[in-house]
Amino acid sequence: MHWGWGLGSNVVVMHKVIERILNLLAFLLTAGRPVTADEIRTTVGGYDQSTDEAFHRMFERDKDLLRRLGIPLELAPTDGWQVEHGYVVDPEAYALPDPGLTDEERAALWLAAEVVRIGGVAAVPEALFKLGGAPASASGEPMAASLTEGSEDLGEAFRAIAERRHLQLTYRERRRRVAPFGLVHRRGHWYLVGQDDGVVKVFRMDRAGQVSVGDKPGAFERPAEFRASEFIPETPWEAGGEDLTATVKVDKDMAWWARRQIGTRGTIVEDADGGIEAELPVANPEAFIGWLLSFDDKAELIGPPELRRRLIDRVAEGT
Amino acid sequence: MTSPKTAKRLNRLLAMLPWVIANPGSTVDEVCERFGYTSSELAADLNLVFVCGLPGYGPGDLMVAYIDEDEVVVELADYFASPIRLTPPEALSLLAAGMALLSTGQAPAALTGAVDKLQKAILGGDDENLVVDLAEPPLVAELRAAARTATVVEIVYTALASGKTTTRQVEPWIVFAAIGNWYLRAFCRSAGAERVFRVDRIQTLDSKDEHFEPPLEKASTEIGYVPNEEDVRAVIRLRQEARWVAAYYPVEVVADTTAGLDVRFSASDASVIARLLIRLGVSAELMEGEEVATRAAELRSAILGRYQVGGRS
Repeated sequence: MHWGWGLGSNVVVMHKVIERILNLLAFLLTAGRPVTADEIRTTVGGYDQSTDEAFHRMFERDKDLLRRLGIPLELAPTDGWQVEHGYVVDPEAYALPDPGLTDEERAALWLAAEVVRIGGVAAVPEALFKLGGAPASASGEPMAASLTEGSEDLGEAFRAIAERRHLQLTYRERRRRVAPFGLVHRRGHWYLVGQDDGVVKVFRMDRAGQVSVGDKPGAFERPAEFRASEFIPETPWEAGGEDLTATVKVDKDMAWWARRQIGTRGTIVEDADGGIEAELPVANPEAFIGWLLSFDDKAELIGPPELRRRLIDRVAEGT
Repeated sequence: MTSPKTAKRLNRLLAMLPWVIANPGSTVDEVCERFGYTSSELAADLNLVFVCGLPGYGPGDLMVAYIDEDEVVVELADYFASPIRLTPPEALSLLAAGMALLSTGQAPAALTGAVDKLQKAILGGDDENLVVDLAEPPLVAELRAAARTATVVEIVYTALASGKTTTRQVEPWIVFAAIGNWYLRAFCRSAGAERVFRVDRIQTLDSKDEHFEPPLEKASTEIGYVPNEEDVRAVIRLRQEARWVAAYYPVEVVADTTAGLDVRFSASDASVIARLLIRLGVSAELMEGEEVATRAAELRSAILGRYQVGGRS
């Protein structure tokens, strides 16, 4: 092994792994039939281990690596009697369908990946390499965005949506089987929109546990012209079970901020004194009262009377 | 498990080969720039390809890969002519990043087409399955431009904690979105120190005819609360229905008994804790913290005064 001279032993190991994987993958992609582990051991370069145990350990690691790279390694029977099973990589399932990006579009994606992080981690350049790579932008870009924690579950949920597989998850202490329709990131959270027990519901991903993806692709149909964002309201007080219309007055010195916070479903009328009076839909009174209290005494809830009463009682509770 | 370094290297190698196969005549510089290689890294990867191929492993079975003058040559490797399909996390992170930047209205024009093509290739159809919305408040574009050109700006800012409105000259470093809001990290000339501002609380912005020396390192986009000696402290008892507060705010748990969960808060201004206390009503009780008690009483009386019930006379 003369080529190993001068290289660190880690590098030598890495080179051996890469050579073996390239040989294995070339073999699997061209075999056109399932090949058994035994055949791989005797045919593919790099698997000349002395003992069964050493071979199996190495082969397990290699399979794991292939799957991590996104390579669809499957097991299939080698003959009609299903006595023996072998490994298959379907070249069509392996290949990325060319989305036909231009270099300009790749550069724009690269910038996006640099600016936007998910849970503190930059979008992977690996993904961009697969799409044909792009020169790294020498970004002195003074803008950044961090989407809340991605976690493995989010990737799994996305896979289930893309492949229309069911998703099992635990939510509010109940195990559920959801037909996942979409994912929305809004107001700092990831939400899953899906059908559970015949009803379309919204699940906050950070509160969903033990997420697992069903085996069957194409297991359900999405409603026609489905729009995930319609299920996630713009403001926290529009997310809930009640159906109220509230009227509020906001003083002049905080009116500008209120205008920015009221969603597109609210209507705003300017007062003669420079303040505003707004009418807005409220589905979650708790969240709405919380928001109003952030104005201290610079806003007033005019109606409906029972909501006004609730706010007054809340403030008076501690006196 | 195989090292992540090996996986990364293989991933790049298996993305580079299809590109070179599809673009014969590519130069070393082009390939290096596109895939982030140094020329020696590229040569090392091509050397590995050269000793691999199909069983038999003789001439004609092995792939051919080398650098000819300045040109990258790959032959007999047609089984590697296509890149590997994106993994779901890869597809999600790219699409989400693209959509997030688009939603800010600050994206290059080509991003619309890129996201569109990716979405069709990955999710198919015209449904709207993935939405990333960063709800950009006004002034983000102006702040970004000011940071890029290192221009001093004057802002009228209403602090979230105290509710006080001040006019300040700041040197904007970076504008960023995190946990559902947009923030500005800047050097505040009025305070003589680095500060983080919530962009939606900046009422107006005025660019000055003056430039500043930008920081050498990229400014941090972390917004963790850093406790300070002068901060106000209080202990609050949370009943069952208010226990979520402990997960939501940076607090220290003092005791957990049948009476409730006692947590110690600290904040830059007593109003922050007082407001929370009022909002929680009977599900929380102030155990310690005179300053907060005073402030809560003031706030209660001011609010009730506005509603003309039991307020100050």
